[in-house]
Amino acid sequence: MIALALPTAAEGGTFTPPGLEDLHLPDILPWGAEYGTGFGKQMLLVILTVVLVSWFLVAASRRRAMVPGKFQFLGEWTYTFVRNSIGRDMLGEREFKKYTPLLVSLFLFVLLSNMMGSIPFLQIPTTSHVGTAYALAGIVYVYWIYLGFKTHGVKYFKVSVVPSGVPKAFLIPVVLIEIVSTFLVRPMTHSLRLFATMLSGHMIIALTGAAMAYMFTSLGQWWGYPLGSLIFIGGLAMFLFEIFIQVLQAYVFTLLTAVYIQTSISDAH
Amino acid sequence: MEISGSLNAIGYGLSAIGGGIGVGLVFAAFIQGVARQPEAQRVLQPLAFMGLAFTEALAILGLVFAFVWKL
Amino acid sequence: MDNAVIKAAAEGANPLMPNWWEVLVTLAGFLILLFIVAKFVVPMFEKTFEERTAAIEGGIEKAEAAQAEANAALEEYKQQLTDARTEANRIREEARSEGAEILAELKAKAASESARITEQAQVQIDAERSAAQASLRTEVGSLATQLAGKIVGEALDDDARSARVVDRFLTDLESQRAGASK
Repeated sequence: MIALALPTAAEGGTFTPPGLEDLHLPDILPWGAEYGTGFGKQMLLVILTVVLVSWFLVAASRRRAMVPGKFQFLGEWTYTFVRNSIGRDMLGEREFKKYTPLLVSLFLFVLLSNMMGSIPFLQIPTTSHVGTAYALAGIVYVYWIYLGFKTHGVKYFKVSVVPSGVPKAFLIPVVLIEIVSTFLVRPMTHSLRLFATMLSGHMIIALTGAAMAYMFTSLGQWWGYPLGSLIFIGGLAMFLFEIFIQVLQAYVFTLLTAVYIQTSISDAH
Repeated sequence: MEISGSLNAIGYGLSAIGGGIGVGLVFAAFIQGVARQPEAQRVLQPLAFMGLAFTEALAILGLVFAFVWKL
Repeated sequence: MDNAVIKAAAEGANPLMPNWWEVLVTLAGFLILLFIVAKFVVPMFEKTFEERTAAIEGGIEKAEAAQAEANAALEEYKQQLTDARTEANRIREEARSEGAEILAELKAKAASESARITEQAQVQIDAERSAAQASLRTEVGSLATQLAGKIVGEALDDDARSARVVDRFLTDLESQRAGASK
């Protein structure tokens, strides 16, 4: 927050709000820059997320005590939450076990990626870079289409886009709408919902931070201080709200994954 | 007085109205349902979030077009 | 926002256009995570849950077995108690009847003994009485004869006669006593 705000404030003069380019910090590895890798903080955090989630899950599951300790209980609670209230409730008692690994790793990966925005000094949700969101949604997109073909064969084209009980006259527009909404809008909204909420949440935090710093340091008027304090209180509220949104978006992302898988493996459209 | 800026932002704001109202309706119905039948919460909650997701799609499309169409 | 969009557009970096290296890193990282989760984490968690379920069910079964055992022991104990009670009753009954038998036997024995003693005594008395009678008869006869001889002064040597006289006298005496006792 401060790190983002300071250069803006140091420019002096008028207040310029932090923009999208502030999301892209300079590359860490300069030798990759000429290939355009952009290996910056964000990629480092993605790798850190993978390492942390793997460590957490493996450490929590390896102990296998009959009476779990606090750490193991936390792992088991998270696992059973995803397994039962997302997987079992959406996919049904018969099918859900196959998809538990995907759902669990998706939920924890997205959750920690989002939470990166609220951890001090890390302070950037990795999902606020659209590439990460595209990658995750892309995996899910490919997976449910694959599942659809595996379940229905070639008939999946018909099953997925032709709704039952539509009069012949409306069939062509309805099928067009279905194609667009199923194969285009679904993955788009799936990834962009995550990306957009994380981006806007991050921007709001950055904005309040920058505005507060400007009020305190560069304004040079006495009313900058009470106003800055008010902004700080508001920013704190937004920060807490943002944590809630981060958890909620991880839940929604995983839930939608389960819903898409369910529509692919179920018989009816 | 001169106003400068991108009309795309206004367009996105307009598209968000529909999504906002829709999400409000979805959760209003969800809360009503739970208030009438508290034991149905487990069934209704995923449905409510599904409704949220589908309703939000329009607002997200608005966001996309705000970035994509720069005429 | 507008500045950012214009600037980003000028740089050719639309925020919706991904950095493909990011996509690649995320894909690789997530697939590694997915592999770890599917290979190690989920089986271990499921195994733990299964073991826990089994342990709980086993505990319940064990408790049920212990309960059944306790019930069986109680039943056995009760059975033994009733057995012992009937046994005691039986023994008591037996003892009572045996005692009654013994008593009756003893009574019979005592009665027969007393009857035997009485009979013996009677026989003895009879024998003694007849012996006494016999001896008395001879002695009293001779004494009386001697006494009468002395009184009469004549020798009553005729034994046959004197015996007759004595018998007559004794018969008189007996009939007299019998009449008195009657």
